Amino acid sequence: MASAPGPERDLRLLAGCLPLYPPPPPTVGLLSMEQQETYLELYLDQCAAQDDLTPPRSPLFNPVVPYGMYILNASNPDTAFNSNPEVKETSGDFSSVDLSFLPDEVTQENKDQPVISSRHETEENSESQSPQSRLPSPSEQDIGLGLNSSSLSNSHSQLHPGDTDSVQPSPEKPNSDSLSLAPITPMTPMTPVSECCGIVPQLQNIVSTVNLACKLDLKKIALHAKNAEYNPKRFAAVIMRIREPRTTALIFSSGKMVCTGAKSEEQSRLAARKYARVVQKLGFPARFLDFKIQNMVGSCDVRFPIRLEGLVLTHQQFSSYEPELFPGLIYRMVKPRIVLLIFVSGKVVLTGAKERSEIYEAFENIYPILKGFKKA
Amino acid sequence: MNNTAASPMSTATSSSGRNTGKSISFATELQSMMYSLGDARRPLHETAVLVEDVVHTQLINLLQQAAEVSQLRGARVITPEDLLFLMRKDKKKLRRLLKYMFIRDYKSKIVKGIDEDDLLEDKLSGSNNTNKRQKIAQDFLNSIDQTGELLAMFEDDEVDEVKQERMERAERQTRIMDSAQYAEFCESRQLSFSKKASKFRDWLDCSSMEIKPNVVAMEILAYLAYETVAQLVDLALLVRQDMVTKAGDPFSHAISATFIQYHNSAESTAACGVEAHSDAIQPCHIREAIRRYSHKIGPLSPFTNAYRRSGMAFLAC
Repeated sequence: MASAPGPERDLRLLAGCLPLYPPPPPTVGLLSMEQQETYLELYLDQCAAQDDLTPPRSPLFNPVVPYGMYILNASNPDTAFNSNPEVKETSGDFSSVDLSFLPDEVTQENKDQPVISSRHETEENSESQSPQSRLPSPSEQDIGLGLNSSSLSNSHSQLHPGDTDSVQPSPEKPNSDSLSLAPITPMTPMTPVSECCGIVPQLQNIVSTVNLACKLDLKKIALHAKNAEYNPKRFAAVIMRIREPRTTALIFSSGKMVCTGAKSEEQSRLAARKYARVVQKLGFPARFLDFKIQNMVGSCDVRFPIRLEGLVLTHQQFSSYEPELFPGLIYRMVKPRIVLLIFVSGKVVLTGAKERSEIYEAFENIYPILKGFKKA
Repeated sequence: MNNTAASPMSTATSSSGRNTGKSISFATELQSMMYSLGDARRPLHETAVLVEDVVHTQLINLLQQAAEVSQLRGARVITPEDLLFLMRKDKKKLRRLLKYMFIRDYKSKIVKGIDEDDLLEDKLSGSNNTNKRQKIAQDFLNSIDQTGELLAMFEDDEVDEVKQERMERAERQTRIMDSAQYAEFCESRQLSFSKKASKFRDWLDCSSMEIKPNVVAMEILAYLAYETVAQLVDLALLVRQDMVTKAGDPFSHAISATFIQYHNSAESTAACGVEAHSDAIQPCHIREAIRRYSHKIGPLSPFTNAYRRSGMAFLAC
């Protein structure tokens, strides 16, 4: 860090009065475990004022992981700390930023850091609704980033010879720099973060399949199991229902099973296990292979009426609206591949997702578009 | 002169044995439909009655021709293939019908995935329901297509100008509404003949026919009826615009139908005081529209017999 005193000094002036970190560690070689812990604790103590969360769990102390930690502590602590307020303002831009340069382990571990994700949340929630508020921030961001990137590149070249590949592109992407400096932002937040008003789509139905991996005698199952119906002339599967979680299952003689009606992934898995247990108790050597969620349906309400005629005109290639056929507009989003049913009342149904994050992402994509067609 | 166009239609109606009087009337529904298609807030009752008459006559004729076609095949029901066959000459309208059928398939596929009860229903009735209309259409067009142009329609992604114009008109109409008016407008847009399937069947007097249409064919007929109403409204709006003389504007005849409402509302009625009550489409507009539509213009028009055969120009196909 001795090689970049200039920008740090300027930053100190800019930063105003900030608490000083302990002096930067030796730049050559990796930090020892104790030193890592110390810096981690210190950093977390500073965050403790904002969040009342426990420090991250042990996976963090994996030497590969605290990429961001190294950067935070190794570079000028003022720089690190100063970047945070800037990051807060630019947090809204994260969706457009390419995070691919971050190594995979980091992004995965990031998910385990509740500290980081909650900070991300508070940043998002405190953001004001109008996009104009973000305009002043890029200028601040540029100042901070210009300095950050220089100190970053210095620290990077010394600390992480192995990571230079990932580091090299960072000066070209100032946005990414701010992210790497920042407490690492998770690529898929653990908790849903909505753009504004805190509207979060609720999951309504989950369809999953599992392979019980044994041939089943449907007649025997239908006779001995409670809440089972079997009509071989109509359909070649047993329809079984359980009350908790309230779900329905279609069990086929090949051993494959479809489970519908659950309201969360865990519930769907639990219900599927319960059905498998029932089959097991009836004497079949049922296993639980290849549990996979096939479809997730979510719904929410934007709470204002939407002018669908305008939407179908401007987004022709994605939407179809035939009110004589169906009262809602069918919007086929390409990324993520989700189908949305948008109604005049403001209710939105999202379907076709394989993961929860796809639903949240799709809603975040559509919300600004819908606001543009708000019917006063 | 205008009335002679209407009278053969009304005589045709009465002569086809329906002189019990049409106890079933769609006039009120038609009024809502016309509002949703671009007419004024309260369309005239006389206009609705006339439109009903026109649509009814055209559909009866269409049904009779379809019955003849299926008789030729030796079938006992009128199937969607017969209707597709009758429409084979007009590619644009056929494409619109195909798109409608695909959207119908797609919508039932999606709605099925949302509600678990629907999912069970579908599984129980066998999984050959997916894309059934698309399959029917594709198979049939495959069989009659000699030159390959019909099958090319499936890949065709051209913008449907008529549909585009209708969308723009609706968008313009809704822009100036407040939310209460807009809610009412949406309700009117959702009206269709397929929602009132049984009334529609009785209206067409399907029970007295020897060869009856099946379910999908009835869907297509409901769609064609709605298309006819939409075409009539489109043409009547054009006619009405033509009737308004704007002195000093050499390009008034070239303005598209979408500009009509915009133009009328922007221009104050004081400028041309005649416009005060002409917000709604008048029966004379409809009659003139039909007259022009049936009148084939061109050097060879006296010698073409494509439409003379039935004595009527179908608006929807």
